[in-house]
Amino acid sequence: MSDALLALSGLSRRFGGLRALEDVDLEAREGEILGLIGPNGAGKSTLFNCLSGHLAVSAGRIRFAGRDVTRLAAARRARLGMARTFQLGKAFQSMTVRENVAAGLGIAAYGSFWRSLAGRASGGARDRRSNAILERFDLRSQAGARVRELPMGVQRRVEAARAFATGPRLLLLDEPAAGLTHGEAEAFAGMVRGVRDAGVTIIVIEHNMTFAMRLAERMYVLVDGRIIAEGPPEAVRADPAVVDAYLG
Amino acid sequence: MDAYLISVMTFIGIWIIMAMSLNLLVGYAGQVSIGHAAFFGIGGYTVAVATVKMGLPFPIDLVLAAVVSGILGGFLGLPALRVRHDFLVLATIGINFIVVAVFQYTPALGGAYGIVGIPPIAIAGVELLGLGMLLLVAAIAVALFVLKALLLKTWFGVRLIAIREDEDAAAAIGINVASTKIWAFVLACGGAGIAGALYARQLGSVFPENFGFVESVTVLTMVVLGGAGTLIGPVIGAIILGGLPEYLRFLHEWRYVIYGLLLTVLVIFERDGLMGPESRLRALLTRLLRRAAAEP
Amino acid sequence: MAETITNIVVTGCLYTLIAMGLTMVYGMLRVLHIVHAGVFAVGAAVGLVVFQTLPVGFWPALFAAMLASGALGVAIYHIGYRWVLDAPRGTPLLVSIGLFITLQSLLEKPFLLGAYASAFDAPVGLPRVQLGALAFTPAQIAIVLSTVAASGVVWLVLNRTRLGLSWRALSEDMNMARSLGVATQRAVALNMFLGSAMAGMAGVLVAVYENAVSAHMGEVVAYKAFVVVVLGGLGSVLGAAIAAFVLAAFEIGISTYLGGLFPRDAIGFAVLIVILLFMPTGLLGRRFD
Repeated sequence: MSDALLALSGLSRRFGGLRALEDVDLEAREGEILGLIGPNGAGKSTLFNCLSGHLAVSAGRIRFAGRDVTRLAAARRARLGMARTFQLGKAFQSMTVRENVAAGLGIAAYGSFWRSLAGRASGGARDRRSNAILERFDLRSQAGARVRELPMGVQRRVEAARAFATGPRLLLLDEPAAGLTHGEAEAFAGMVRGVRDAGVTIIVIEHNMTFAMRLAERMYVLVDGRIIAEGPPEAVRADPAVVDAYLG
Repeated sequence: MDAYLISVMTFIGIWIIMAMSLNLLVGYAGQVSIGHAAFFGIGGYTVAVATVKMGLPFPIDLVLAAVVSGILGGFLGLPALRVRHDFLVLATIGINFIVVAVFQYTPALGGAYGIVGIPPIAIAGVELLGLGMLLLVAAIAVALFVLKALLLKTWFGVRLIAIREDEDAAAAIGINVASTKIWAFVLACGGAGIAGALYARQLGSVFPENFGFVESVTVLTMVVLGGAGTLIGPVIGAIILGGLPEYLRFLHEWRYVIYGLLLTVLVIFERDGLMGPESRLRALLTRLLRRAAAEP
Repeated sequence: MAETITNIVVTGCLYTLIAMGLTMVYGMLRVLHIVHAGVFAVGAAVGLVVFQTLPVGFWPALFAAMLASGALGVAIYHIGYRWVLDAPRGTPLLVSIGLFITLQSLLEKPFLLGAYASAFDAPVGLPRVQLGALAFTPAQIAIVLSTVAASGVVWLVLNRTRLGLSWRALSEDMNMARSLGVATQRAVALNMFLGSAMAGMAGVLVAVYENAVSAHMGEVVAYKAFVVVVLGGLGSVLGAAIAAFVLAAFEIGISTYLGGLFPRDAIGFAVLIVILLFMPTGLLGRRFD
């Protein structure tokens, strides 16, 4: 348990009387693509929000890269190497695609005011790194476009590229295939594998079972805030409890 | 040149500095403030006290004004962390009111009678009046414009725009949102303090009623009218609105009626400001510039 | 002490009247409706003019002022707000400010109110009332009764009519309500009408109470009204009423017992900021209720 990159123990989150997450144990091992699936309203995004620090936990602990981050602010976790995308897509609308990616590159400088002043957000080495990232996510041709004018599918790729630009150890993708055509989803799956091959551990939330099964190497199934199954995709797919939850 | 015209231009220069500083807060950091005149006032009163009561020379009084306004602005940033949007607007109005009340009720600051007899700026024994003062104000305005442009190109500039666009996403890429907001307030209020310092020197006096709600509204209007979040927007806004009561002088008692109507109409027609990214004016100017560049 | 209490009751009523109208408009349109203060002043002016030129008493003049203010509110919506409802936040605020400046400057003209205050000496035809140790003048009774009546009407409309239901739907999500067929334009117009009529009513009552009508009488009111609206939880009518009395109590209490240390108006804002620091959504931060 202690050598996993990310480990949750007893994680709970309640909203008044509503138990969104109850006693969740989960771990992500270095270099794997982990899937988190479950029916709508199961608490998947809530789990991500607790992981990334955007939502406080009611009980339980989160260990990441060897330290307890349960009480750590979201920005600190990001600087420790935890990156994410959001279900509704939060690419910076008024910036261009390139500027979004560059924004991610600046993470090392965001720690203090004076360090932020010292570096320029564009130029030379930074542009080369941006180009490489844009290339990886097939965004090179749209680098100068303003995000608000792009279709949602492209915007989500921009968001993923920006998250990757922060140089994370762990990348949380929240419903990355939502709204994508089959071809786009396939292409994106390829990009995700490429990111993993570059040394990033990945957790994917997906509502689209097919996409999740094809991409993930191991899965957790979350239903009504609890983990009801865990294992490789074929095993999970055959698990009667899982079938029940999705169909029943 | 006509002394009156020089004076008007000097005041416009001071408004430009004010508008540019507020733009940093409103246009780039996305924090709406209708209390900016309070820091204008703090800068002005700092200079008044520094020169009249403590006999400090230029540029010490100017630096002091910037620092005092900046630090107090940082404190204003603290409630801004807790409240958003409309609540923030109202809190800033409240702070403005309270600051003016402090000016009015503190005997050491002259109370309702303000402070008069602020001497003009003297550099190496030479007094800056009229044209000299205008040149200094213009130089400072240009310097601040350049500094702001450079600032926006650094990673701090990215932090500002990021928190304006989406605070959650900003945090997700490692930006400390709270710290960014506070620094935005510090820098913006420091800038207002500089404008206030120059204002106090130009006018020779400071009175509490010059730094209230109406003035805060005016400078916000300059920013939004010109185009918040653009570099040139606040400059244009300041030139138009700072000079408007003068341009409309011939309309005499009707000028504020026209001012109000003009503001309403302009804001309805160009909701991102006159120099906003897709404004007609910007498109027109871009076309003209391109045509001028194309012709050898 | 008794006088302090009557003061608080009356002031609380006035703040309630003004803030209730403002909350209604804000709750629906999400605009910081600064020109509400201008409607307030126009209401007072119309009341004065009607009272002085027509052979009618106080109450018909009040009614006329309410009608005129309501109409003005609807006009303001059509001239200004309608075009900028989905613009970035600063824009509708500036439209409101622009209209406010225009209204006040017009009122200052010699053919309207002029630069100085005019007297508004109108007998309200009500008796003095004594409740135990508390003595209320006729004007004060008029204020309390009007506030109770207006609040009752607003409560009725909000909670017992289809119109009130459509207001609540519109305040939740204007686009969705529109697509569900809620008669938007009419509902919004009626909302502006009622909210503005209350501003006009408040204007006349304040004018008679203080025996003064001036072009700038709305300015101080504008700030106070917003303090009350924010404290009450932007969009909550009941919250506004409660906050109105809380503010009145604080203001009058502090200025009575701590003397002239600080202007009454600044106290309101100090209270506001302190409360915002601890309760960022105001006292009852909910939508329309």
